[in-house]
Amino acid sequence: MKIGVLMKQVPDTETKIRIKDDASGIVVDGIKWVMNPYDEYAVEEALRIKEKKAGSTVTIISMGPKRSVETIRTGLAMGADSGILIDDPALEGADCYATAKALAKVMEPENFDLILCGKQAIDDDSAQVPQMVAEFLGMPQAMVIDKLVVSDDGKKATCYRRIEGGAKEVLEVDLPAIVAAEKGLNEPRYASLPGIMKAKSKPFKEINLGALGLKAEEVGAKGAKLKVKKYFLPAEKAPGKIIPGEPEDAARALVKMLREEAKVV
Amino acid sequence: MFELTEPQKMIQQAFRQWCENELQPKVEALEKAEINPFDLMRQMLDAFGMRDAMREGMKRKVQKMREKGPVEDKKEEGLVEDKKEEGDPDDPMEMAQRDMMIPFTMIKELCRVAPGFAMSFGVSTALAGGTILSKGNADQIEKWGVPINALDKVGCWCLTEPEAGSDAFGSMKATAKPKDDYYILNGQKTFITNAPYGEIFVVYAKIDRGQPKDKQPVHAFVLEKGMPGLTTGKPFEKMGMKDSPTGEVFMDDVKVPKANLLGVEKDNLRDQAKESLGNERSGVPAMCLGIIERCFEESVKYAKERKQFGKPIGEFQAIQLKIANMYIKYMNVQNIVYRLAWMGSAKKRDMAFICASKAYAAQAAIEVAMEAIQIFGGYGYMKEYHVEKLLRDAKLLELGAGTTDINLLTTARILLRD
Repeated sequence: MKIGVLMKQVPDTETKIRIKDDASGIVVDGIKWVMNPYDEYAVEEALRIKEKKAGSTVTIISMGPKRSVETIRTGLAMGADSGILIDDPALEGADCYATAKALAKVMEPENFDLILCGKQAIDDDSAQVPQMVAEFLGMPQAMVIDKLVVSDDGKKATCYRRIEGGAKEVLEVDLPAIVAAEKGLNEPRYASLPGIMKAKSKPFKEINLGALGLKAEEVGAKGAKLKVKKYFLPAEKAPGKIIPGEPEDAARALVKMLREEAKVV
Repeated sequence: MFELTEPQKMIQQAFRQWCENELQPKVEALEKAEINPFDLMRQMLDAFGMRDAMREGMKRKVQKMREKGPVEDKKEEGLVEDKKEEGDPDDPMEMAQRDMMIPFTMIKELCRVAPGFAMSFGVSTALAGGTILSKGNADQIEKWGVPINALDKVGCWCLTEPEAGSDAFGSMKATAKPKDDYYILNGQKTFITNAPYGEIFVVYAKIDRGQPKDKQPVHAFVLEKGMPGLTTGKPFEKMGMKDSPTGEVFMDDVKVPKANLLGVEKDNLRDQAKESLGNERSGVPAMCLGIIERCFEESVKYAKERKQFGKPIGEFQAIQLKIANMYIKYMNVQNIVYRLAWMGSAKKRDMAFICASKAYAAQAAIEVAMEAIQIFGGYGYMKEYHVEKLLRDAKLLELGAGTTDINLLTTARILLRD
């Protein structure tokens, strides 16, 4: 099986986000960049499928600035076979639509049997790129999946997702398809030491717009359908209150507070 | 030179993650000796695919040694026959071992969380395992070197005796008397890291053929758990490094086969153990760096968060001076570690620098940990805040691998030598 994994480099979850003075974005100096945690599940799942199906390959695809190479290499160190980075100054300012367009374009000639990705990136939390990529490629999509079973012949995938009320929805898709990972799909492995030492010698290519066959006005800020006007931090929350005591007394105290202090009931 | 390369950085990040997720939550249980630290080490090696890679790499090394036939004397660290090669690209472990910054980075990351755990790991693999790898023949490496490096078995390195500490060689009482195809070993070793769990013991003893004590050469022998006459004492209760089991080793007429002598029996008195001492010492600053870095980072964070007199304490000059002085030591020790890594990778040996670095880094670790506690105030004295553990652990680094005093004296003696 030929598996593609979409990966985004994002700020570490513990980053203290600062907004630029002109509110046009966040300050990126000093940020520690990591693999989007949901994409880690996608990489892990791809590797597990590869381990089960002899002759499979895993390619990691990312769009972003040059520093994204390091995160792609983390995927290679985990066990992926090759990496592709789409990097071009014209891509800056892309929204989900423009991003999906470029990603779909780079994947088209690869003829993947399965494309895996995280359900969303934890930086802008849009959760739109996987669906749009599926649309551009004309592939079935299964989103927010926490269990994935690929049929022995590699023609179908059964995907499970949690829905309201604790139930599970089961989707069966024909492959090729795009499947977006939810937490719980698996427990991602650490990049192994031998894997890290070998990562640099694995095939990796960098593609710019020209090579991709896209025009500058189709992608990046120019091709975006969405413009961000302003970035701002949410207002600081007042600290919460913990009500001690036995459940019964605590509940009574809580209702009293809701009535008298918060005045919501 | 003062920056991690990409693979080094990846290893650093992967180990940071493992330490935060797997090691930090177990520090308390490790300190109370409620869990077996070696099980956790094996999990660590497996998580990074290191056990299998190590076994395979060493198997190839052993095969290569056998093909080339016996090497008379292996003076230098590392295998003589490999010295000039660039490293085997099919052997990632070997590539990693050639780049000293990689083991230093691992040790540093472990020491941010659990210096005792790091020490136990280093003693079994780098010290006991390293001695066998550098001194042993193909059979010895296969039989003992592979299992203690892959931690299938726990290794100990036994030099110190109750009456032989700083004067480890001169005052050494442990003897090995040749008899038929055996040596008969007698003596007592103390402060031995990993002894309570020990399965393979690299023991230094004087070969006694009836010559005067000061003419008896010191050699290393491999002893195995279960040999009649070899016993270990109860684990010691210590001030710090409680996450590393320590104990005594007793040898009472232990019959050790001739094949268990590492290297070739010669009249050189101390060279063998001295080389391992150099290795042990050059690893200590990386341990110190872990302690210092964590104490520094925690202090900066706390100084920004903790408010007194209506503002963060980091805005007071008393705290600022402490932070700046901690930073100076942090950077000094970091620079030392980079230099030691460069020396190790380039096979340059400068004992004066190694000893001076060890002395400086250990003192710096104690001073920085002390300051961290002072910045944290009462909270710093509480177990919950981790810096108190790092201080207790740091003190050992001034005692083990040669005291600060001995390291300073050795430095001076080398510098003043004709």
